Amino acid sequence: MAHRWGMVIDLDRCTGCEACVVACHAENNIATVGEKQAAMGRAIHWIRVERHWEGEFPNVRVRFQPIPCQQCDDAPCEPVCPTYASYQNAQGLNAQIYNRCIGTRYCANACPYTGRYFNWFNPSWDKPLQLQLNPDVSIRESGVMEKCTFCFQRILAAEANAQAEKRQLRDGEFSPACVQSCPSEAMVFGDLDDPQSEVSRLSRSDRGVKLLGEVGTFPKVTYLTRES
Amino acid sequence: MKRRTFLIFSAASAAGALVDVTHKKGLPGKEMIRFIPETKLVPGVAVHRPGICTQCPAGCGLDVRVMEGHAEVVRNGQAGLLRMGLAKKLEGNPEHPVNLGKLCARGQAGLQVTYNPDRIGHPLKRVGPRGSGEYIEISWEAAIGELTDRLRPLASQVDSSGLVFLTQPLRGQRQVLIERFLSVFAGSAHVPFEFFDDAVLREANGLSFGHYQLPTYDLANSRYVVSLGADFLGTWNSPVAQSLAYGTMRQGRSGVRGRFVQVETRMTQTGANADEWLSANPGSEGNLALGLAHVLINEHLRSAESAASAGDLIEGWKDGLPQYSSEAVAWKTGVPPATIRRLARDLSAHQPAVVIVGGSPLAQTNGLFTALAVNALNALLGSANQPGGLQFSPYAAGFAAPAEPRKGVLSPNELAQQILTGRPSPVQALLVYGANPAFATPPGWQVKESLEKVPFIASFSNFVDETTEMADLLLPDHSYLESWLDHVPESGTNEVVIGVAPPAMEPLHNTRATPDVLIETAHRLGGRAAQALPWKNYEEMLRSTVLPLRHFPGSVAAGSDDDFWKKVQQQGGWWGTTTGQTSKSASRPASFSPVKEQQPEFDGSAKDFPFHFLPFASQQFYDGRNANLPWLQEMPDVLTTAMWGSWVEINLQTAQELQIEQGDLVEVASAHGVLQAPAVPSPGIAPDVIAMPVGQGHAQYGRYATGRGANPISILGPQRETNTGALAWASTRVRIRRVGKNGELCLFSTGPITWGEKQLKR
Ligand code: SF4
Ligand code: SF4
Ligand code: SF4
Repeated sequence: MAHRWGMVIDLDRCTGCEACVVACHAENNIATVGEKQAAMGRAIHWIRVERHWEGEFPNVRVRFQPIPCQQCDDAPCEPVCPTYASYQNAQGLNAQIYNRCIGTRYCANACPYTGRYFNWFNPSWDKPLQLQLNPDVSIRESGVMEKCTFCFQRILAAEANAQAEKRQLRDGEFSPACVQSCPSEAMVFGDLDDPQSEVSRLSRSDRGVKLLGEVGTFPKVTYLTRES
Repeated sequence: MKRRTFLIFSAASAAGALVDVTHKKGLPGKEMIRFIPETKLVPGVAVHRPGICTQCPAGCGLDVRVMEGHAEVVRNGQAGLLRMGLAKKLEGNPEHPVNLGKLCARGQAGLQVTYNPDRIGHPLKRVGPRGSGEYIEISWEAAIGELTDRLRPLASQVDSSGLVFLTQPLRGQRQVLIERFLSVFAGSAHVPFEFFDDAVLREANGLSFGHYQLPTYDLANSRYVVSLGADFLGTWNSPVAQSLAYGTMRQGRSGVRGRFVQVETRMTQTGANADEWLSANPGSEGNLALGLAHVLINEHLRSAESAASAGDLIEGWKDGLPQYSSEAVAWKTGVPPATIRRLARDLSAHQPAVVIVGGSPLAQTNGLFTALAVNALNALLGSANQPGGLQFSPYAAGFAAPAEPRKGVLSPNELAQQILTGRPSPVQALLVYGANPAFATPPGWQVKESLEKVPFIASFSNFVDETTEMADLLLPDHSYLESWLDHVPESGTNEVVIGVAPPAMEPLHNTRATPDVLIETAHRLGGRAAQALPWKNYEEMLRSTVLPLRHFPGSVAAGSDDDFWKKVQQQGGWWGTTTGQTSKSASRPASFSPVKEQQPEFDGSAKDFPFHFLPFASQQFYDGRNANLPWLQEMPDVLTTAMWGSWVEINLQTAQELQIEQGDLVEVASAHGVLQAPAVPSPGIAPDVIAMPVGQGHAQYGRYATGRGANPISILGPQRETNTGALAWASTRVRIRRVGKNGELCLFSTGPITWGEKQLKR
């Protein structure tokens, strides 16, 4: 079964709570780097929440925008990789093959969304924090790029499950970690090839926009704009 | 504390044993003593177990993903390797009525409490001076023996035992257990404490609506929401329940999108989502509420009588609040008269509407007046106990209702005075459970000094914090994933909810569940104490309290008691309807006369201290309890992107006038103390306000939090809300000056924080 995984993020629902940010850390064994390295711009957040300020006091407004990898159909990060570590898999995901990556960081340079993060050193966890690690996700070492995978491990697990039960995947039967936790249900995940799926339905919304759509990346993340 | 000393003493038996065994086998790390596995798990296959989040008082239900793994544990004094079920990810329990499968960022980070490297792993007895961090490891037998020996003479006192139990507010059977434990000690006191306490709003709700509890907001059905200072999507009340409802309010109903206005002096995460953001002078929010009511009454949009008794509490209500004309209110609040009139008309036109108040407006000396004014406005709008308005969650009869108003409840301030003066009676022993007043009270309350004077302190904390470092005996509790849990949510649901969950995993360390330690101590004391806590253990106590629910319609259908108890545990609790269910009623005393308008009073003169100081609940650390979790330290604050430290928020223009730039080190001084932190000029804060997140600046809280940033509570004045005695934490005035260039601000975003819409690069 082919799928084309996509995501919708409703900016009218998103409250900027960052549950998605921590959920992604917990699910995907993302290392914390500590104050010194973080101050040098080396913190890793596969999903981050941007903010856009408008106006001056007291007429101030803010708009939040969570930004994971946009999983572009025409991904600028892919053709620039000399080792094909950054590639598009059969389900349309921009995947990163860690043990192929040699750390040129061309892909990070090419990504217009700054969605790719570099490991400046080997991650370490003060014992017994290593017990939090998710055995379904590999740990990345020094010199390797990493990024949002749409929680690929969860996709694989759900597919294996469905296969074992000899059935099709059901829309909404699993979610990536960020989507699952989002308290205001701002995020929806699913198969864009299934016209009936919630994510397909919402992607067709009048409010739907692509982030920097004009650069021609054809992202599989659709934002629903705020109504005010 | 000197970590080194702590390690030397505490590591003596545990780590020593590990190293020896490992070396003999010549294999690094893994070949230690292997215990027999405690659980039968298939490697790689996850099981899901219920839990309850204890990271804040909301009590969301957890779904804990448990997988097989190998952990170094201590069993019977022997360290070794155990194949066991390990919590690998926390999700929301989809069945739990409060959070329906969702969690906030702090809830997500909860794994790092259990796996924190700075947990206290075994009972400790202090050997050096208080605060030196010099302990020796002792056995549980000896530790409980010592506790019993210390308490035995107090139990035999006839008038005043001098025993005080200091806890975080408890919302379940732990509350009942502790009260019963204390009932054996004459004149003992239970002192519940947390910094962001909502006592003022509870008191007001008791007076206005007869419910001494926090409201549940039915935002999913609201069309117009005005919030005065409440960070209801971030840290206040039941944030996950409120965020779920908010999502529906915005985009969950076809053709209807609720509008949302926030009024506050510094933009919170919640305020950042508002369609319209307004700033009102600190302490003037009650005025604003009555100004809105004035318009509604005088333009005949609502009749004053419709507010019933909630209106009677306000002086001048029956006469249409003549002193609250839009112009008069504008003068006091700083909100333009036209805006006041428009808001009032909108509230009236877009029904159902609701006005929320919480946080800093109630942390002023006139907080109760403000809360009563907002309650009266809600009653006038017809929003009380209505869909789309505010409601009160029901409780099951016989269950410990949260936050029950108790006569003579001490605050840590009064406790400290009692300790220092010995009046009305000397405090002989202090037990501490989940509260950290040495960090979270203003210096004028003298909590830290008073702790020095208590002859005996025992702490049940997981971590050595500023309060626990004063303890003589440390009896560490299990982490919440290793414990039997129960929780009665105060709000966030319209059903009766009793959260119950068995341990999701075996304990990692040589810790013991505090309720079980208390039960055992009572049994050793014997006599009345043993009778007061008749259960074998906490599990048995929970079971006996929960079983009567079997006969009510609810989430669990079962043929027998055993079956019922099993299913309740599988589900993570019970929810449904009970007869005789109550919400905590507190009827208004007959003598209560209408309240007059009360002006806020501030600590420090406007001349010497030109700025209002606003400590706010941190998105990462709430009141500071989560500052020891690296995931949250590295989570960027959503408005500033600050990580791993404190910052001082100041209005952009004001900063320019004072020549303060982003990242400069500034000094903030009140009449009570001084602190330094880097500055973040922001457009979302009033020109006369300086704000700082609470949570950093720990002197003692493990490797990730200790010595990091500054604690705004350390410069607060001691003044309190005049009617309830709650700390008026938003009523201190300060001055600010630039110290120098490098404040070491750690930001995730490298650009200036005020970007245009198009600039999306980090
Ligand atoms: S969890 Fe949801 S509401 Fe919170 S910041 Fe992420 S997308 Fe927004
Ligand atoms: S989809 Fe998964 S990997 Fe991507 S941001 Fe969300 S949690 Fe992280
Ligand atoms: S609101 Fe967040 S911290 Fe509080 S109980 Fe729920 S998940 Fe836990």
